[in-house]
Amino acid sequence: MINDVQTWVSVAAYTGAGLAMGLGAIGAAIGEGYTAAQANFAVSRNTKLSGDVFKSMLVGQAIAESASIFALVIAVLMLFYKMPDATMIKAASLLGAGFCMGFGAIGSGIGSGLPGGQACIGLARQPSIGNRLTTNMLIGSAVCQTPAIFSMVVALMLIFIDFSKAPLFPTWAAVIGAGLSTGLAAIGSGMGGGFAAGASCEGVARQPETAGPVTTTMLVGQAVAQTPSIFGLLISFVLMFKAFPESTTFAASAGLLAAGISTGFGGIGPGVGNGMAAEGAVRWVARSVENAGGLMRIMLVGQAVSQSTAIYAMVVSLCLIFVV
Amino acid sequence: MAIEGADIVKAAAFLGAGLAMGLGAIGPGVGEGMAAAKTCEAIGKNPKEAGLLTRTMLVGQAVSESTGIYSLVVALLLLFVV
Amino acid sequence: MGDLGRIHQLIIPVMGHNITLNLEAIVMTWIVIALLILFGYYSSKNRGMRPGTAQIFGEMIVTKLYGLTEDALDKEKAKKYAPLITALFMFLLLCNWIGMFPHMHEPTKDLNTPLSLGIMGFFIAHYAGIRSKGIKKYLKEYCEPIFIMAPLNIIGEMSKIVSISFRLFGNIMGGSIIILVVSYLVYSLVLPPLLIAFFGIFVGAIQAFVFTMLTVVYISVQVK
Repeated sequence: MINDVQTWVSVAAYTGAGLAMGLGAIGAAIGEGYTAAQANFAVSRNTKLSGDVFKSMLVGQAIAESASIFALVIAVLMLFYKMPDATMIKAASLLGAGFCMGFGAIGSGIGSGLPGGQACIGLARQPSIGNRLTTNMLIGSAVCQTPAIFSMVVALMLIFIDFSKAPLFPTWAAVIGAGLSTGLAAIGSGMGGGFAAGASCEGVARQPETAGPVTTTMLVGQAVAQTPSIFGLLISFVLMFKAFPESTTFAASAGLLAAGISTGFGGIGPGVGNGMAAEGAVRWVARSVENAGGLMRIMLVGQAVSQSTAIYAMVVSLCLIFVV
Repeated sequence: MAIEGADIVKAAAFLGAGLAMGLGAIGPGVGEGMAAAKTCEAIGKNPKEAGLLTRTMLVGQAVSESTGIYSLVVALLLLFVV
Repeated sequence: MGDLGRIHQLIIPVMGHNITLNLEAIVMTWIVIALLILFGYYSSKNRGMRPGTAQIFGEMIVTKLYGLTEDALDKEKAKKYAPLITALFMFLLLCNWIGMFPHMHEPTKDLNTPLSLGIMGFFIAHYAGIRSKGIKKYLKEYCEPIFIMAPLNIIGEMSKIVSISFRLFGNIMGGSIIILVVSYLVYSLVLPPLLIAFFGIFVGAIQAFVFTMLTVVYISVQVK
């Protein structure tokens, strides 16, 4: 068996490509399925509008698909791009890129399916406001893609940045940790953003005259729900760009890997929770628009408190990187 | 490189700290989000009681956050004490 | 890319100890303070029934934040705490927005700024709690539900400082690193202004508001 470095880089590239595409396909498929299911329901309610609902379904699915298209791009890049620097660190960073893109696409895929489905139902309910509903759906699901775009940026950096001058121990763990941190943290934020966007499409369809405050609340809620994935990105950048001294202990590597895992997993729950808070606020802004200010305030406070565990996870990661 | 027992123990402590805080953060995050969502609903129905509802939400969230704080304590113990 | 995360420091050795000053954060904080004093001076210089632009702007900010404080606390206490809350919000907003200008940096990007503001809010909230409830009732609250829980309750209170300050720091620092890295990747074409609009203006304003609201909420939880 030939164990030269080039072999390992190829092994990592192909495994990473498989992980990126395999994991990345989960979310988009679920999201699109949800959209299609709601579209069927909408058509059964109002068969005359089947053409419009069909169009709306396709637009919604196309956006939900984009997360898995990012994953496809990364996978194809890893399969066919000839790495100029074949080192063991490159092998690790390719694996990290695969994890990052794969996990990162799950949340955004599921999340951006929700507004598509709600837009189809809304269209069957209120055909006259189709344009406004489509605009709202497009804005909402485009913002849901942000965590997937973060993961794609990190994956591209892991593929193209030249780490060959850094010491193998512990940089191999730093690059895998960087991938896990952004990738896992993106799951929660993507799904959470989708909850808010779905509720806003429902709200606009119920009360078209509240579209302005509903969209504003949705955008603010989604922006705050993005915070856990920004923390993940912060930890990834620190792990990628901090120059770690060479170390022969296994503990140093394990610490950096654990830093990525901590912020990554820690971002999932708060992202989903923030999304739920935003969903509640958006839904009730649509029903009682005169309370929009108070609802926005309570949403921000609730989201801020439910983020605190993501912040503790980030603090533990920073301790692992800088202190121990 | 030679791997020694103490090194393995330290590595396991670090990984344990990461896992404890990372996984421990999932539940409180979702739970507190549910509390916030229901509070939004309650304020939408009864905006006059906003102050009372906010306080109830914060107390509930503080309690459901306690497991997250236990995770933080365990993680910091693993990092700095063990 | 090379200066990612580099901090300009001045280290003064005094009797065996090193005193480290983060020059950038100090200078930028003083610039923000000077701008706020200038704004305060100009908005209240020609006060009158027919207000000028600066006065309208100042009155708008002050009335909004007074209203927010009154909602969370009551009228009597709002009079005491609203000036603090207004000042905190205006300071944080300007701190988060000043990074948009070339060669300027957000003081909130340095962990020391949010951390000191968080510790300040913590002590103010607990002082307010002791003043309004009395020391006995204040201490009794730590022993809920049973007295064994007291250490965990204290850690829970302390972790509020960590969460409030790291939230601001993480968002501002993360945003500025994203802007730096993405600008480098796309050779500063097209994307940076959009990113600055999102992370600088939008996220900066939201985080300043969240920090201020949480300080009010911490005070109101302690008071009642």
